[in-house]
Amino acid sequence: MNSIARLVARDKNLSVLVVMTAVTLIVLITLLGGRFLSAGNLQSMSSQVSEFGFLALAMGLAMLTAGIDLSIVSAAVLSGIVGATVMSGQLVPVTASNSNTLMLVGILAALVTGMLCGLLNGLLIAKISIPPILATLGTMILFTGIGMVITNGQSVPIAISSYSALGAATVANIPIIFILMVAAFLVVGFMLRRTRFGRRIYLFGENDVALRFSGVRNDRVIILTYVTIGLLVGLAAVIMVSRVNSARVGFGESYLLQAILVVVLAGFNPYGGRGRVVSVALGLILLQSLQSAFTILQFNPYVKNLIWGSMLLLVMVVNYYVARWNPRGAAPATGPGTTTAIPPESAPSAAAETHRAADAVTTGGRAL
Amino acid sequence: MKTSPFRAVFNRPSTAMEKYLLAIIIGYIVIVALKNPLFFSVETLFDMLRSGSGVMILAIGVLIVLVSGGIDVSFTAIAVVSGYTSVKLMLALGIDNILFAFVVSIVVGCLLGAINALIIYRFNLPTLIVTLGTASAYHGLMATVLGTKSFPTAAMPQSLVNFGSTDLIVINSDTGRYGLTVFLPIVIAVLVLTWFILYRTMLGRQVFAVGSNEESASRLGINIFRTKLFVYAYSGALSGLMGIIYFSELKYVNPVSLVGTELMIIAAVVIGGAKLTGGEGTILGTILGIVVVQLFQSTLVFLGLGSSWNDLFFGAVLLISLGVMYYRQRIQDRKNLVFATA
Repeated sequence: MNSIARLVARDKNLSVLVVMTAVTLIVLITLLGGRFLSAGNLQSMSSQVSEFGFLALAMGLAMLTAGIDLSIVSAAVLSGIVGATVMSGQLVPVTASNSNTLMLVGILAALVTGMLCGLLNGLLIAKISIPPILATLGTMILFTGIGMVITNGQSVPIAISSYSALGAATVANIPIIFILMVAAFLVVGFMLRRTRFGRRIYLFGENDVALRFSGVRNDRVIILTYVTIGLLVGLAAVIMVSRVNSARVGFGESYLLQAILVVVLAGFNPYGGRGRVVSVALGLILLQSLQSAFTILQFNPYVKNLIWGSMLLLVMVVNYYVARWNPRGAAPATGPGTTTAIPPESAPSAAAETHRAADAVTTGGRAL
Repeated sequence: MKTSPFRAVFNRPSTAMEKYLLAIIIGYIVIVALKNPLFFSVETLFDMLRSGSGVMILAIGVLIVLVSGGIDVSFTAIAVVSGYTSVKLMLALGIDNILFAFVVSIVVGCLLGAINALIIYRFNLPTLIVTLGTASAYHGLMATVLGTKSFPTAAMPQSLVNFGSTDLIVINSDTGRYGLTVFLPIVIAVLVLTWFILYRTMLGRQVFAVGSNEESASRLGINIFRTKLFVYAYSGALSGLMGIIYFSELKYVNPVSLVGTELMIIAAVVIGGAKLTGGEGTILGTILGIVVVQLFQSTLVFLGLGSSWNDLFFGAVLLISLGVMYYRQRIQDRKNLVFATA
C-alpha cells in the first residue's frame, strides 16, 4: 500500500487525471456502449484529436514558460491558408507531373509560415519584453488580418486530390495523422525531459531571473520555444487543411478555449514550470471522449460551451485541492514530482525586489 | 509658475502613452480628412459616439479590473446574459419600463461579477483562465436556461426601442437625420463616477494598491477580498448596463452576438496605457485607446481600404503600441538592473 501511495504522491495531478479519465471512460462506455466503442467512432475520434493534439501541445509548451499563446489558432489558420494557396493552383498551375512536388512545397510552406509566426511571437516576448498574453493577443489579430487580406474572406480550395487522401489514409485502421501526433508527443516529451533545452524551458518557467543569472541566454530559450510552438502549429494546420480540403479564416475558433482547458486539465501550472506531456495526452483522451459523446448525444453547441467552461473551473478548483492533499498523511508532501500550489498572483521574485521606481515591488510580467 | 495646459485641466502630468495616442489620433484624423472630407463632419462624430458608447462603458470595467491586477474576459458574456435576462423578464412580466430594464440588468451583472470575484479569491486562481471559464459557463447557462431566441424590433420591449432612438440634439442634413444619442450622458456619468471612485476615494486607492502588489497591500491592512469583490462586481454592473444599451442601440436582441469582441476591447484599454501587471492606468488613456480602436475599425473605409484590412491594421497598431510601451519599460528596467520582465 505504501508503494502505491508513494507512486500517487509523486505526481498528484497525474494520478487524479488518470482516475478522472478512467471513470469518464467507464461511464461513457456503459452509457453509450456500442456507439462509443465502434470502429467508426474510434477512428473519427482519433482523426479529430490529431489536429487538436498539436495545438494542445503547443499551448502546453507556452504555459511551461509561464506564458500563454493566444495566437495558435490564428497562426494555424494563416499557415493553412498559405499552404492551401500554394496547393490551389493559383500561383503555379497544378498538373499531373508537379502535383506531388506542389503538395510537398505546400506542406513546407505551411510549416515555415507557422515557424515564422512563432518567431515573431518569440521576438516580441524576448527582445521587446511584451508580456506573452499581450504579444500573442496582438499577433493573433495580426495573423487573422493577414489571412483576411490574402483570402479576402473567401475560402481557398485545394486542387490536389491526393492531399485529402493523405489526410484520411490509415495504417491498420489507424489514421496516419494520429500516428503522426503520437510521434510528435513522443518527440516533444523526450525533448522536454532529456535535453538541455527542455530542462531550460522548465527552469525558465520556474524562475526566469535565476536562469538568466545562471548564464543561460533567456532570449534564445524563449525564441526557440516559440518557434517550436510555431512548428507544431504548422503541423496542426497541415492536418486541419487536409481534413476539409480548403482553408478559410475563422476556422477552428473554439479550439483556443479547449486547448487551454486541456492544458489546465493536465495540471500545467499557468505560472510556469510544471507540466508533463503524458498529462496532456491523458487530457486529450478525456476531452476527445467527452466531445465524441456530446456529438453522439447531439448536444447543442451552447450546452457544450457551458460544459467546457464549467469543466475548466471545476478542474482548477480540483487542482487547488489536489495540491494541498497529502496522500501520505502527516508530513507535508515534498519532492521533485509534486505539484506546488498555484502561487498567489504577486509572489515577489527576488531580483524584482530591488529597484522598480516609485511605488511598489512587483513581479514583472507574471499576470494571468 | 508655468503649467502645461494638460496639467491645468487634469491636475496631473500626462503619461507617455497619452501623448503618443493623442498624436496618433490627431495625425490620423488629419490624414483621413485630407483624403476624404466627408469624414470630418458632425455626422461621423455622432455616428462614432453612438457606436462607441457601449464599448466605452465596457472598457471602463476592463480598466478597473486591469488596475487591480487581473484580466477579465467574461464581460461581454456578462453583458449579453444580463441584458437578455432583463429582456426576457420584461417580456414575461409585461413590464415595459426602461428603468426596470437597467436595474435588472445591472443587478444581474453585479451578481455574475461577484461570482467571478469569489472564485478568483477563494481558490487564488489566475484571473484570465477563471474568467475564460465563467464566460463560457454564463453564456452556456443562459443559452440552456433561457434559450437563444432572438427578438427583432417588433418583438422587443418598446421602451428599449424608444430609448435607442432617443436623441438629444438632432441635425437634419441632406443625407438624413442624425442625432446625438442619449447614450452620451450615460457614458459621461460612468466616466465621472469611475474617475471619482478611482482617484478620490480610499476604495480607489486600494484598488491601485492591490494591483501594484497584493502582498504589500494585504500587509497594509487592505481587505483584499472586499477590494476584488468591488472590482469585479463593478465591472459586472457596468457590463450589465452596457447590455441594455447594446440591445437598445441595435434595436435587435440577439443573445449570441457581442461575445468574441472582448479581446479587441482589452487591446484598446492596454493601448491606452493600462499595465497588465496592475497598478497603472488612466481614464483618459482608456478613452484615447477606445477612440483609436473605434477610429480604425469604422473609418478605414474612408481611406479606401476594404474591411479585410481592418484586422491587419489593428493588429499592427496594437503590436506597435505595445512594443513602444513595453520597450521603454524594458530600457528603464535594465537601467535600474531589474530583470523581472522576460
